[in-house]
Amino acid sequence: MQTELFQDKILILDGGMGTVLQQRGLPPGGQPELLNLTQPELLESIHREYIEAGSRVIYANTFGANGLKLAKTGHSVEEIITAAVTIAKRAAADTGARVALDVGPLGELLEPMGTLPFERAYELFQAMVQAGSRAGADLIAIETMTDLYETKAALLAAKENTGLPVLVTMSFEASGRTFTGCTVASMARALEGLGADAIGLNCSLGPDLLTPLLKELCANTRLPVIAKPNAGLPDPVHGHYNMGPEAFVQAILPCVEMGVSIVGGCCGTTPEYIRQLSAALEDREPGNRNYRAAGFVCTPSAPAILDGVRVIGERINPTGKKRFQQALLEDDLDYILDMAVQQEDAGADILDVNVGYPGVDEAAMLPRVVKKLQSAISLPLQLDSSNPDALEAGLRVYNGKAAVNSVNGEQAVLDRILPIVKKYGASVVGLTLDKDGIPQTAEGRVAIARRILDAALSYGIPKEDVWIDCLTLTVSAQQEQAAETLKAVQTVRETLGLQVVLGVSNISFGLPNRALITQNFLIQAMHAGLTLPIINPNQKEMMDAVAAFRVLSGEDRECRAYVARFAGETPAVQPTAAPGAPTLDDAIIRGLKAEAGKLARRALSNESELALVEGHLIPALDKVGEEYEAGRLFLPQLLSAAQAAQAVFEVIRDSIANSGGAPMKKGKLIVATVQGDIHDIGKNIVKTVLENYGYDVLDLGRDAPPEDIVRAVTEQDVGLVGLSALMTTTLPAMVETVRLLRKLPKPPVTFVGGAVVTPEFAQRMGADYYAKDARQSVEIARKVLG
Amino acid sequence: MELNLDEALRYLGAKSQAPEQLRADVAATAKKLTSAVQPRYTYRVCALHRTNQGFLLPEVNLLLPGADAARMLAQCDQAVLLACTLGAQFETLLRAEQARDMAKAVILDACGSAWVEAGCDQVESELAVRLPGRYLTDRFSPGYGDLPLSLQPEICAVLDTPRRLGLHVTEHFLMNPSKSVTAIIGLSDHPQTARIRGCAHCFMRETCALRKGGKHCAN
Repeated sequence: MQTELFQDKILILDGGMGTVLQQRGLPPGGQPELLNLTQPELLESIHREYIEAGSRVIYANTFGANGLKLAKTGHSVEEIITAAVTIAKRAAADTGARVALDVGPLGELLEPMGTLPFERAYELFQAMVQAGSRAGADLIAIETMTDLYETKAALLAAKENTGLPVLVTMSFEASGRTFTGCTVASMARALEGLGADAIGLNCSLGPDLLTPLLKELCANTRLPVIAKPNAGLPDPVHGHYNMGPEAFVQAILPCVEMGVSIVGGCCGTTPEYIRQLSAALEDREPGNRNYRAAGFVCTPSAPAILDGVRVIGERINPTGKKRFQQALLEDDLDYILDMAVQQEDAGADILDVNVGYPGVDEAAMLPRVVKKLQSAISLPLQLDSSNPDALEAGLRVYNGKAAVNSVNGEQAVLDRILPIVKKYGASVVGLTLDKDGIPQTAEGRVAIARRILDAALSYGIPKEDVWIDCLTLTVSAQQEQAAETLKAVQTVRETLGLQVVLGVSNISFGLPNRALITQNFLIQAMHAGLTLPIINPNQKEMMDAVAAFRVLSGEDRECRAYVARFAGETPAVQPTAAPGAPTLDDAIIRGLKAEAGKLARRALSNESELALVEGHLIPALDKVGEEYEAGRLFLPQLLSAAQAAQAVFEVIRDSIANSGGAPMKKGKLIVATVQGDIHDIGKNIVKTVLENYGYDVLDLGRDAPPEDIVRAVTEQDVGLVGLSALMTTTLPAMVETVRLLRKLPKPPVTFVGGAVVTPEFAQRMGADYYAKDARQSVEIARKVLG
Repeated sequence: MELNLDEALRYLGAKSQAPEQLRADVAATAKKLTSAVQPRYTYRVCALHRTNQGFLLPEVNLLLPGADAARMLAQCDQAVLLACTLGAQFETLLRAEQARDMAKAVILDACGSAWVEAGCDQVESELAVRLPGRYLTDRFSPGYGDLPLSLQPEICAVLDTPRRLGLHVTEHFLMNPSKSVTAIIGLSDHPQTARIRGCAHCFMRETCALRKGGKHCAN
């Protein structure tokens, strides 16, 4: 079936359905899928018109037939989809045309933009594709997607639950991004990796404006490419699309010359467009494709083509880091996110993520950390684990094309991990060692690299997705091995043509002035062919070396990045020597984060952690709070001070973790944005300020169901709960939450706030306090928790 | 399109008394925001019929009930439905900033509010050019006076905002992405007085953070 479908030199799809329905007098809005039950003849006649016009594939009227959109109609997904596919099959009978199950967006945003979990999206799509497959659809067309994450959920559902071919098209703006910021390259390479059968663009623009994007798409995929554009753009005053069928066809021809081989129309197009398109393309062949094979990883908004040195940040790893281990055990994902943010800001291109530690359920933790990181940073991730369950769980929820670290030359390991890598279209790091250990010669390591490459190819993983780690050994222990590693790097790069990875820092273990040795080894390794150094990007020496290398290799065109990095750099000021340097209290009040951290570290040499908090931190924050109350300081300044205090707390936590003491905690409270409310910056402000007064804040996030809040209060024995609501429509959820909390045998103290909450309303619902702002929530916490 | 810095400062609770540093921070954030994200909008001009239940837009089968819409549209024969959003890319920026620096995040949030309003202003300028000789009422939104919030999803459905703008409405009538506006503008052959002034007609009048601080959002 699959090969048969793509045998046509150019496959003609259908055109708009909604457009034709509106021409026949149906008003916009509404739920067009219900027509499958009420007007089957109308739909069948439209399908038939498209087939007569030349469509070889028609889309059944199932675009919005998902469980969310049908929820209030009283009809099931199965019922609607069965009806729609049956109608389309009737129209296609004896014509040779194929029927596609049309799968559009769910109509609700997925996390982290909305509140719909990835797993729930998968289930909704699963119900659609199962119903479509049962009803006899010949293929699945996922279309009009703007969120790569939602697209992944749909594609996984189609691949895992049916054997049907899957066409996937997304909608882009002329800027080359979707509404959610996804790039063409990210879309193409992520979806090809996930096993789509053909990919392309539909809706949003006319073929003229889609042409440059289709060119970019052709350069980034080996799959057949689809174009299903609109009839130009709609005019807002009268609502008509501005491109007639002739112009539409003329604009599509250049796309076919670039290699687009599956074409149709979207909004504004009618059977007449398809008739002219079909006539114009008869006897034509798509032009030759210009695919750019390249190593690649990405998130939707950050495609990383591996055509130079790309830095992999190594900091998200508990090995030898007490504070990180503590964060893992305490489920402090904010700390891990902070590690990621620092590395992104320091210039890392990819982040290694390792959360394996005794006492941590890695298969549960890795996907949670992946979700947390991709909510706030844009860098691609390299999932670092030897646990196949953890890798699969992490790759499944990853949004984009990830890398996996790692396999080695041992066949059992390859057989365990490579199928997962293939399924999710990831890249994979192969360590040049096997059950006999690390070969002592470069030749031995290259031989293992070859074996890993062959195994990957046999699983269908393309060569450019295989990265080889030639292994850095500690030079103070095995001095002659540094040269062997460099030789292996050179051969793997030059002879096998693969990306080369090295964990660079290991070289200098046990030596004084480690940075010097590490930097020198890094430079030599890059010269030998290292493309993916795993380093600490927060170490300036390392990133300086990379910046210089990129100039000398020609990658940094016109030395732009180098100049930007170093221009205007002045010798570091010595704050200790400078007269009038700020005190710790000043640094907090003025929001000088780095300064406050430094001063706190110094103060700890002759003051206890507790004295630092009670004597400096809290009084300084109070002073800022008073100024804020008086209207002399504003919210950003209050928060700057809070963040400087946070830096001081981080120093204190480090100090306590390293000395093995019990963490200093001031008392625990819960904050949450109530059910139905999805905008949470107000709650986050309250959290920031409270945390920086030393309170242990358990953040239940946004859209928090009352039952979840009650459960957390009971399970964690929490005495204070803060709730935020933004809309009159979500106030009832706040009232309900307070009511349930008051019914507990040991009810916690509650405080409420947010745009629509008033003191009177707070009292009426039975909350103990009303907090008009973050500052007042501190006063309440003091009264209740001390 | 220009982001009004005073408006952003007002959202932060500061106006004329804003310290120089804060003003400079707001200006810097505004510059970054306006080069990274553009407001996206869509609108539709519809006929307007007076009925017993309120004003009806027959082409899209939308009813605007209540006294406030009736007052705003009293002299109008057409209405423009408008939706404008900064989109998910703004949300991504805001999440990233919240993970880095809450102080900068609240400034970005305020700039976002001012920037989406600038997008609505742009639509009004466009209408003025496209429809010479026609006069525009002030724009007003679901939730204004007695105009129900429940119109929010209906307007978005009519304008096909999920597909055209990536703008969704939740079952609790929250717009997602958050920096989004839906509005109605009346069109008339007669000059229209600006009716929306001060807080008297604002649905936020009881709860508005600006009002609680003794301030208001009108010029």
